[in-house]
Amino acid sequence: MDASWMYMYMPIAGVEIFWPGLVLIGYSVGVIGGFFGMGGAWMVTPGLNILGFPMAFAIGTDIAHIAGKSMVSTMRHSKFGNVDYKLGVVMLVGTMVGIECGAQIIMYLERLGTVGSVVRWVYVVFLALIAAMVFYDYHKATQKKKKGIVDGDKGTEGVTWYKTFHKINIPPMIHFKAAGFTCSVWLPIMVSYVTGVLAGFLGIGGGLLRMPALVYLIGCPTHIAVGTDLFEVMISGLYGAFTYTLKGRIELIAVFVMLTGAAIGAQIGTVATKYAKGYGIRVAFGCAVLACMVSIILKQFKYGTSAAVVILGAITIICIYIMAIMFKGAANELREKKLAEQASLTI
Amino acid sequence: MKSLVWRISSFLLMAYLLIPTGAWAAGGPASMLVVVADTRRVSLAVEKYFSNLYNTNILLFAVWAVVLTAAWGCILGVVMDFIMARTGLDLKSRKIVEH
Amino acid sequence: MKIISGKISVIGAALILAVFCSFSVAMAAEVSQGKCVNYDKEKKVITIEEYNTNFSKSAPYGEPTGVVAAYNVATAMIGIPPEPGDILRFAYDVNGTERVAIRVMNVSKQDLRKK
Repeated sequence: MDASWMYMYMPIAGVEIFWPGLVLIGYSVGVIGGFFGMGGAWMVTPGLNILGFPMAFAIGTDIAHIAGKSMVSTMRHSKFGNVDYKLGVVMLVGTMVGIECGAQIIMYLERLGTVGSVVRWVYVVFLALIAAMVFYDYHKATQKKKKGIVDGDKGTEGVTWYKTFHKINIPPMIHFKAAGFTCSVWLPIMVSYVTGVLAGFLGIGGGLLRMPALVYLIGCPTHIAVGTDLFEVMISGLYGAFTYTLKGRIELIAVFVMLTGAAIGAQIGTVATKYAKGYGIRVAFGCAVLACMVSIILKQFKYGTSAAVVILGAITIICIYIMAIMFKGAANELREKKLAEQASLTI
Repeated sequence: MKSLVWRISSFLLMAYLLIPTGAWAAGGPASMLVVVADTRRVSLAVEKYFSNLYNTNILLFAVWAVVLTAAWGCILGVVMDFIMARTGLDLKSRKIVEH
Repeated sequence: MKIISGKISVIGAALILAVFCSFSVAMAAEVSQGKCVNYDKEKKVITIEEYNTNFSKSAPYGEPTGVVAAYNVATAMIGIPPEPGDILRFAYDVNGTERVAIRVMNVSKQDLRKK
């Protein structure tokens, strides 16, 4: 059978890409990201690499699609929410320098010819950490349930490192009005630099790291951290897209295909959160992360086809699971709404 | 014990911060990779325009890429808002799940 | 406030685009690919035997056509230094009868597909 129509030529990267895989990755990153509330970009770079994109192209394309996606969510909520713009702008310095550094490391590794394996191994460690975090979280939640402790507000009590950090007295000191604290300007710059390097290196938004850093290390109130992070992701994504394009490592067609898929998927994902109950889905998420990790290792050892099957299979299953939650829940809600309307009519 | 952990973690942090600078300073023993988009293999006019732009004026290409990505993101956001408002689902009272 | 800032950003983007577009009307460059025959570093000229676009499993870079062409690479951006036998891809402009290379890609040596 001639399957050549399933492959699309990418003129810049110069590779033939299995385009249904591209659509699937874009769509599921939307569904999974929308559902779990964290980017989901961690599976795009490995996914694109496994589909056949050279590593540098996978990172550049991923970072550009993050920029687009953050535009989508900004438009959807018509605003960033609560942003401390002063903090945001200060952090931009660190984020942009960090992204540039991350991108420079990638270009350097590319010249050495080791970019593929280095990034893949870093990803394996990174994903292992995420999986550990997810399973630990699940474990803690089930233990609490057993003991009958009701989960209160997930407060920032307990970890108060930021109090120590606020004491660091390197001028200039700066006061952030909306966030309501004063600290050395170097603290947010350093934090954003660290997340920026990682974002530029792995092609992720960095929210996964920046959010906890904002809350625990800088001492930002959670609602302001959410808004400021979104602001940061958008700008850093746009800058990342720009610098990676300037370095010639982006595939525009892939960006658009994935962005479209992600925008549609994200709606399904976010609606599904409304109907999801229990912690079981967390386990599914952890498994998806592990599957992604396994597929990267397979790719590293040149089992390209099995790697593609593992990652595409895993994300398909978890997507179907989330979609089932969403459609079931939505159908229920609409039915109840109808019944309520009929009841009010008969009265 | 605590001071040891502190020392190790601060060392790791320093190493992490210095690696990029090192990579930058190292410049390049190996030469840069240059990519030429193969415009002979694309037939679509838009694709041809952009791959040609990639070869001849990468700065303009980068500006286009950022502007188009941002614009397409905005358009998708508005369209999705429009569609989701018409499903009849109550999307306002949902609890925001933060991670 | 939001609408105003949105408008400002749109106008800003349009301005940037306009500036770039006026500075640089994109020139249409040709692309060719072939096997490096000779690289004269003094004269900065690379000679290749051109390949066509009939790609296949046995000829992943195209088939040789026998046509030999010289490219002036004095102002070109060159990747991995070409050596005779390497497959090169050029983006070039035609200036009178001379082919002036803009970018030179060493296709066989940097095979990105393996990265």
